[in-house]
Amino acid sequence: MSRSDVLVDADWVEAHAGDPGVVLVEVDEDTSAYDKGHIRNAVKIDWKADLQDPVRRDFVDRAGFEALLSERGIANDDTVILYGGNNNWFAAYAYWYFKLYGHDRVKLLDGGRKKWELESRELVTEVPHREKTSYHAQEQDASLRAFRDEVVASIGNKNLVDVRSPDEFAGRLLAPAHLPQEQAQRGGHIPTAKNVPWSKAAEEDGTFKSDDALRALYGDEAGLDFGRDTIAYCRIGERSAHTWFVLHELLGQPNVKNYDGSWTEYGSLVGVPIEVGDGK
Amino acid sequence: MTADGCGAPAGGAQVSAAADAGSQAVVQGRVTRNGSAVPVGYARLLNSGGDFVAEVPLGEDGGFRFFAAPGSWTLRVLAPGDVRAERVVSADLGKVTELEVAV
Repeated sequence: MSRSDVLVDADWVEAHAGDPGVVLVEVDEDTSAYDKGHIRNAVKIDWKADLQDPVRRDFVDRAGFEALLSERGIANDDTVILYGGNNNWFAAYAYWYFKLYGHDRVKLLDGGRKKWELESRELVTEVPHREKTSYHAQEQDASLRAFRDEVVASIGNKNLVDVRSPDEFAGRLLAPAHLPQEQAQRGGHIPTAKNVPWSKAAEEDGTFKSDDALRALYGDEAGLDFGRDTIAYCRIGERSAHTWFVLHELLGQPNVKNYDGSWTEYGSLVGVPIEVGDGK
Repeated sequence: MTADGCGAPAGGAQVSAAADAGSQAVVQGRVTRNGSAVPVGYARLLNSGGDFVAEVPLGEDGGFRFFAAPGSWTLRVLAPGDVRAERVVSADLGKVTELEVAV
């Protein structure tokens, strides 16, 4: 798999956003960002209202995903181009989510909304009209998603990559520094996890670093064993989706899972081992 | 503001009063150019080692806000036109540290 299979740049989007069979989708952490202005022809998916079950802590089920994509006018053979704010965190999360439900034709806009905005490219408020489709999803691909029991069993025998900031990893903060400090019951990290903050994979403009730089980051610097299976986690699974994208889609690592329960779940489990302090 | 996302709240959402900092160490402020708000851009928080910690888009009033750990931080602003500006700022528990960044 090459970068062109999973990434497009802004010039490509400007040239192809209106093509038949191409659907641009904005997914943001700030769910009002789309309403203030978005890339022409883009539709919106709300990571929370659309992708999370409203009652249980889980994703919408297969039927729910089918209903969502059908309603947004996304067909099975459409190429979906995802982008969003904050260096594509939630766009990467949606990418992983689309893959989870078997949508293969999906790519990220490299640099996302940030690079687009910093380059002063056009944003519009018109919402495009798309005819409804009859989208058919697959069952969730269990090879992409880790659950807590597997995570606990992976301590010491798989790569665990904690992609949060060093202060969160050490237990000094419970959440990223732009959010109130609450959520998990305990601070710290999963024993044996390597701390490779997601941000180290991104340039300042939000684009991904080169393959060589990424391989050096996770291999030489962080000491990941590329021969082992890997589980990435953060706090709720969207920053780790960014790292999952890097390891699985850009570097082609075969067995990489995202643990979307992440620290908000692990840090509240009774009886599991926790380490605090900076990385070893 | 909710805390159930890792992501950014709307940038620039202002803490209504210093008392709201509670047990948090808040760093917040506004980015301006010639006295007017810069509504498009990003504020990044870097730790004392220069590593990235968090980023928010600027609000319509040019505002930004971080809940940091106590200590010294570098605030870096990015805006269209290759604009970059940096300020070193200190965060303290229970305190809102305010700063205005003119670019």
